Amino acid sequence: MELPVLSLVTFIPLVGAIVVLLMSSENEKAVKATSTVFSGISFVFSVVLMVAYNRAIPDFQFVERASWIPQINVWYYVGVDGISITMVFLTALLSFMSVIGSFGIKDRVKQYFALFLLLQTAMTGVFVALDFFLFYVFWEAMLVPMYFLIGIWGGPRREYAAIKFFLYTLLGSVAILLAILAMYFSTTPHTFDIVELGKTHPFAPGLQMILFLALFLGFAIKVPVFPFHTWLPDAHVEAPTAISVILAGVLLKMGTYGIFRISYPILPDAARDFAPFLAVLAVINIVYGALVAMGQKDLKKLVAYSSVSHMGYVLLGLAAMTPTAMNGAMLQMFAHGIITGSLFLLVGVIYDRAHHRDIDGFGGLAVQLPIYTGIMSLACFASLGLPGLAGFIAEFMTFVGAFPVFKTIVMISAVGIVITAGYFLWTLQRMFLGKPQEKYAGFPDLSARELVTLVPLQVLTVFIGVYPWLIIDFMNSSMESLSHFLRGV
Amino acid sequence: MNEYALGQGLWEMGFAAAVPFTLVALSAMAVLLADLWLLPSQKRALPWAALAGVLLSAASVAFLWNEEATGFGGAIRLDRFSAFFAMVFLLGTGLVVLLSSAYARREGVERGEYYALLLFGTSGAMLMASAVELVTFFLGLEILSVSLYVLSGFFRQRPASAEAAAKYFILGAFASAFLLYGIALFYGASGSTTYAALRESFGSAAFPYSHGLLALAASGLLLIGLAFKLGAVPFHMWVPDTYEGAPTTITAYMSVVSKAAAAAAFIRVFGASLSSLQQDTSAVLWVLAVVTMTLGNVVAIAQTNIKRMLAYSSIAHAGYLLVALTAAGEAGYSSVLFYVLAYVFMTLGAFGVVSLVRKGEGGADAGAEALDISHYSGLAGRHGLLAAAMAVFMVSLSGIPPTAGFFAKFYVFSAAVRAGEVGLAIIGVLNSLVSVYFYMRIVFLMYMKEETVPVRGSRSRAGWVALAACVLGTLLLGVLPSSFARLATESIASIF
Amino acid sequence: MFLDYLYAAGFAIAGFIFLLLALWVGALVQPKDPSGRKLTTYECGEIPVGQPWSQFNIRFYVFALSFVIFDIETIFLVPWAVVFKDVGVVGYVEMAVFVSVLLLGLAYAWRKGALKWAL
Repeated sequence: MELPVLSLVTFIPLVGAIVVLLMSSENEKAVKATSTVFSGISFVFSVVLMVAYNRAIPDFQFVERASWIPQINVWYYVGVDGISITMVFLTALLSFMSVIGSFGIKDRVKQYFALFLLLQTAMTGVFVALDFFLFYVFWEAMLVPMYFLIGIWGGPRREYAAIKFFLYTLLGSVAILLAILAMYFSTTPHTFDIVELGKTHPFAPGLQMILFLALFLGFAIKVPVFPFHTWLPDAHVEAPTAISVILAGVLLKMGTYGIFRISYPILPDAARDFAPFLAVLAVINIVYGALVAMGQKDLKKLVAYSSVSHMGYVLLGLAAMTPTAMNGAMLQMFAHGIITGSLFLLVGVIYDRAHHRDIDGFGGLAVQLPIYTGIMSLACFASLGLPGLAGFIAEFMTFVGAFPVFKTIVMISAVGIVITAGYFLWTLQRMFLGKPQEKYAGFPDLSARELVTLVPLQVLTVFIGVYPWLIIDFMNSSMESLSHFLRGV
Repeated sequence: MNEYALGQGLWEMGFAAAVPFTLVALSAMAVLLADLWLLPSQKRALPWAALAGVLLSAASVAFLWNEEATGFGGAIRLDRFSAFFAMVFLLGTGLVVLLSSAYARREGVERGEYYALLLFGTSGAMLMASAVELVTFFLGLEILSVSLYVLSGFFRQRPASAEAAAKYFILGAFASAFLLYGIALFYGASGSTTYAALRESFGSAAFPYSHGLLALAASGLLLIGLAFKLGAVPFHMWVPDTYEGAPTTITAYMSVVSKAAAAAAFIRVFGASLSSLQQDTSAVLWVLAVVTMTLGNVVAIAQTNIKRMLAYSSIAHAGYLLVALTAAGEAGYSSVLFYVLAYVFMTLGAFGVVSLVRKGEGGADAGAEALDISHYSGLAGRHGLLAAAMAVFMVSLSGIPPTAGFFAKFYVFSAAVRAGEVGLAIIGVLNSLVSVYFYMRIVFLMYMKEETVPVRGSRSRAGWVALAACVLGTLLLGVLPSSFARLATESIASIF
Repeated sequence: MFLDYLYAAGFAIAGFIFLLLALWVGALVQPKDPSGRKLTTYECGEIPVGQPWSQFNIRFYVFALSFVIFDIETIFLVPWAVVFKDVGVVGYVEMAVFVSVLLLGLAYAWRKGALKWAL
């Protein structure tokens, strides 16, 4: 019997959560160690997945299928293809890093790690599910642990941020639910099978548009697409560091992943009609996000708005529908995950020491925290798209792929790059250059634990920047077939 | 006539159909009498005696699971449907008895009558679900109602409890009158009170027009009576006051058993017998469903008393049930059954937590029930398990996976979409979005606020067992709903 | 069918008219002599004491209830006795169940002290 790798990747953290719940809350070290082990095993299996994945074929692999609720034709149906495998890996990687990054949690440690592991299962589940019902269950199940994680361990305005996040996302989910039900009942025989629907895409163009809009509302809130983005700065800023990493690194990707996995294959006609609007929304995201980020004084808020801007590139790539642009978008999803993930970790590091995040309150840190300054600069450069780092390749591919389709929009988007470069460089200047300040003199530089979480992400950033084929190879065949299908080539 | 022949005769008369609720009624009498000869120190045995009766009856239902019998001249029927509901009622009653064992003693109402009336009420509910004749159904309804009138006023010294009982009784009597009038009209229109006769009389399009009008009027009156029991708007006025004033365990019992019994009777009468009138009734039900859901959810937001909030939430859930009843058909009705089962676990659980939490040391009224929503602030810090259980119930009530509430709602709304009621499904889904706000507020208070009033949770082992059962049920129905859904479908198939 | 209702209505109206007629005739022929003694409340010849809105002992209520219950039992028993031979053993068992339930109720009332006048 073959090893059910996907189920293992998905459910090992859940087992970990149960184990953690059964442990004594006194023994915090054991709780942390157990969580690390379970998240680590899940990560190891995701690496196994990457290694064993056959990159040449765009089909679903590691498929597991079992009847779950036969009355309404619901299956436990999981599998990965080029669209999801990198996301599964990203989820496992960032979760593992975040577990280690969460060792600093002091309050209700047991509950924190149990909820975190629960969250990891739900997130991974979203990326592997190939049955609408299963997908929706994971999609929704993610909300509850996230709500707790922001609401209990977050910053001063955590309650507001948590409920806002919850209600916004739930509003989107409800739209998705209705779309799923509508699809279920307009197929004969009724089915929740995402793969089957993607092959047959049996809906009339008019219905497609309605379904597309309903799904898009759900996904757009998650991405978040302007004007549904207002939950994001609150949630990202108030969440504890590790949760901000997960929010930016994984949760935002679910929106665009949903478009790749569901909206595009199942509703191709509506997708084609909607693409120009998507491109317009993308450029608004890019430019608006960058402009607002520029105006931020709070470092974490700046990174949060930079996410809005960066997710715009993904949307642009999606809208263009050429293989290069879509590869770029996928790569951007991955690159943004690791880059913004490390940015949030870095914000957490400085916040732990200075207990504030006011950019203007820093200055001259380069002298006091040289290693920190180095890694922060690397992450910022990666984020602003410096050639040789991961962000550059992704954005470049997106632009190159999208240019033949949306010339004007790509040119406007390029302005976003300039603004991004502007605010990141300005931030670096304000924080690290200038006269060293007396009050930051005693700060210790990065600890070993912090380095463990940060260095792998930086290595990956550089490596992908130099050798992007490492990641693109996984998605290329899937992206090409999806692109050909969409453009009818 | 020898004994064997007597047994045979009884069996042929369909006594089998009466066995489950007879056993419950007998144990009620046993509890009532036992109480008279028990010393005060021995009263602890009462809940266990009641529980034994429940288990005995459940065993008889299990034993008769595959039987079908019609008894007493076509008055009651034993089939999968009545067996399913019998199990739901017995489950609800058993859990309430467990929760009551500590609650009743602490509140000073541990008397035989308490448990006896609970069991009598359950036997009435079971009679309602197995009745296939209008007068018998009415009898069951009255047995249930009279028990509940008394039970909701069981705190004789408290004005709120007396108010609860008085309101429930007076309005309930009105509703019964409507119902009875409806039954009389049905009799006038069809010349019989059995469901089979109803189906025959109104099943064909040939019945005279004047009789059609009579049947419509009768349906309307019957609908009012059942809507009252269900707590549907605009017949919901009694719900908040009665739920607030009644003993908490009784509130739990009312919200679960009484609602389920009304749903069962509804399906038997309107679903299985009067399906020819469905076009007329579904329009009314549509409106009822929409206003019930909306009012319940919107008003619940403004509540400060947790029992009142749960009362409005139960109104809202009656609305979801009405959505399923509007959808009708086998899919709609089997979703009702699944919903009822899920509702037992999550609502009983929520009320169970409320019954176990009380004000702690320090205040003037230490030991009193902690009923204000603000009392739940910071509960997680002191009573992690209670808070976690409550969180599970709240998540389930708001319909978020992987809990029973999610699948139940999914089942209901998908039945509505299947029946072509897309608008109703959308309104329902939006409503459950609204409901998230007040359910999650409890979670928010428990986990994200500091304690304001010291509260302590009961250490009653029986209560904890009941809560654990509710949590398990809530999760099990959410993760593996398949076999329960099949059960619901089979039960519905047995009456069509 | 409609004619049947008409008959019934005719009877009802006739009855009502007869009632009014009787009262009217009575009022015509009776002597009128209102005096103090005659206007007092009739209590079997006794002179009334206190207010009519006085509290009754709750036990009257309990006794009345018990009376009604057993009254109803009799109402059921009599027709059952008439057809006793026809309903057979099953009917016998059913009535036995009914009577024993009432007996249990009686035992309950007894034990609760509902049958004693003094507390």
